[in-house]
Amino acid sequence: MATTYTPEPAGSGIRANIQRLGGRMAAMVMPNIGAFIAWGLITALFIPTGWLPNKELGELVDPMIKFLLPLLIGYTGGRMVHGQRGAVVGAVATVGIVVGAEVPMFLGAMITGPLAAYLLRLFDGLVQDRVRTGFEMLVDNFSAGIVGAAMAVAGNRVIGPVMNTFTEWAGDGVGWLVDHDLLPLTSLLIEPAKVLFLNNAVNHGVLGPLGVQEAAQHGKSVLFMLESNPGPGLGVLLAYWFFGPRRLRPSVPAAAVIHFFGGIHEIYFPYILMKPRMMLAAMAGGVTGVAIFVATGAGLVATPSPGSIFAYLAQTPRGAGNWVGVYTGLVASAAVSFGVGAALLGFGKLAESDPEDGDPAAGEGEGAAEESAADKSATKESTDEQTGPQEPADGAARETTAH
Amino acid sequence: MNGKDIRKLVIACDAGMGSSVMLAGQLRKALRKQDVAVEHTPVDAIPADADVVVCHTGLAARARRGAGGTPVIPFEVYLGDPAVDRLVKAIKDGGEVDA
Repeated sequence: MATTYTPEPAGSGIRANIQRLGGRMAAMVMPNIGAFIAWGLITALFIPTGWLPNKELGELVDPMIKFLLPLLIGYTGGRMVHGQRGAVVGAVATVGIVVGAEVPMFLGAMITGPLAAYLLRLFDGLVQDRVRTGFEMLVDNFSAGIVGAAMAVAGNRVIGPVMNTFTEWAGDGVGWLVDHDLLPLTSLLIEPAKVLFLNNAVNHGVLGPLGVQEAAQHGKSVLFMLESNPGPGLGVLLAYWFFGPRRLRPSVPAAAVIHFFGGIHEIYFPYILMKPRMMLAAMAGGVTGVAIFVATGAGLVATPSPGSIFAYLAQTPRGAGNWVGVYTGLVASAAVSFGVGAALLGFGKLAESDPEDGDPAAGEGEGAAEESAADKSATKESTDEQTGPQEPADGAARETTAH
Repeated sequence: MNGKDIRKLVIACDAGMGSSVMLAGQLRKALRKQDVAVEHTPVDAIPADADVVVCHTGLAARARRGAGGTPVIPFEVYLGDPAVDRLVKAIKDGGEVDA
């Protein structure tokens, strides 16, 4: 059992449910990230303020965001529920809400696609054993056609207007946060949510769709950077590298490379989960970064996914001020997270005084409980605990960086 | 179950596109000489024919719900976790896999 570092966090039932809902939303967006990036690149290049303004090619921007991207989401959502048939009716139904909508219908597509596929699945289950031999194809095709057509009409008349209102509210909510300079405070929620593996849900389920809408209007959006900023995670990892528990240090450089260049943020979550107060470092870095992004009016053209520095470079739009804002914010968030994290780790003094990850400064029940748990497991499987984690960590680290 | 009986090892993460791909790459390398298929999936889409599922503790509750009776091995860190190392060793040399 790998419970030697941390106990499984309490309340995993609720957390698992939120994860699942958010995960489903993200699962409709993430397989299509390539299309979002294509749209982002085309936008960055060909809009009037882009790198290579071009009127004809610029006409790609609008249909891609209003039709292609929501249709892909509806298609993927349908496929999740009922395979290829579900995907087809999901796409057909999504057209219903896309046509006539004022804003890009991402949220609507996330509902309509799976819903249409679910209805088809119900119908398929109902007639499965009653279709006469030789009529399967006829029934299959027409049931999908009828469900798709009905859902497209229902989407256009009922779901579309409702989702339009919701999308506008969500946009207004974000606008309100921006107007009142409160956007940096979202980091206080986003950074802990990330570490609980809600990172994809937050970024691709919520912020991405809103950001795309904003980017379509203004050519860039700060919303793409709230979750994906690799700065706070990098700062936390660097703090661990210099000042963390000695047995963990060898694994940190490889983790930092994977995090910052590979964009796989999951790799730093365990480092925070095993010392939960390091959360404060990530939050401080996040707030700092967003504050600078907002103050400088920085933004990206599309979701940088994965949240790697390379994705950031590719998605930063033209304009010197914007580049300064994005990378100042990114570096500052890493620096602040590193500073706060280093302080929380006692600048390495805590590691010196107690090599077994104990932490006298914490003093509270949590630290003591962690320590006694660590002690127990250490006595139980002492060889494994002392030599196990360090050696393979080092080996795996070398292996990974070699690529 | 015995590690020697494992033919299909599935690594699950939230989206099935990031961290699980990374870990799958590592384990595929580690198990290159074994007759074991290493796959990565979203945690909500664990295939029924998996012999063992590996996923981060933060997602283990969801993985267990989706995995049916398949053993789920939770791990803490992405590089060199003792639980993952034990699993690799059990597959190579035989030995009990506890989930």
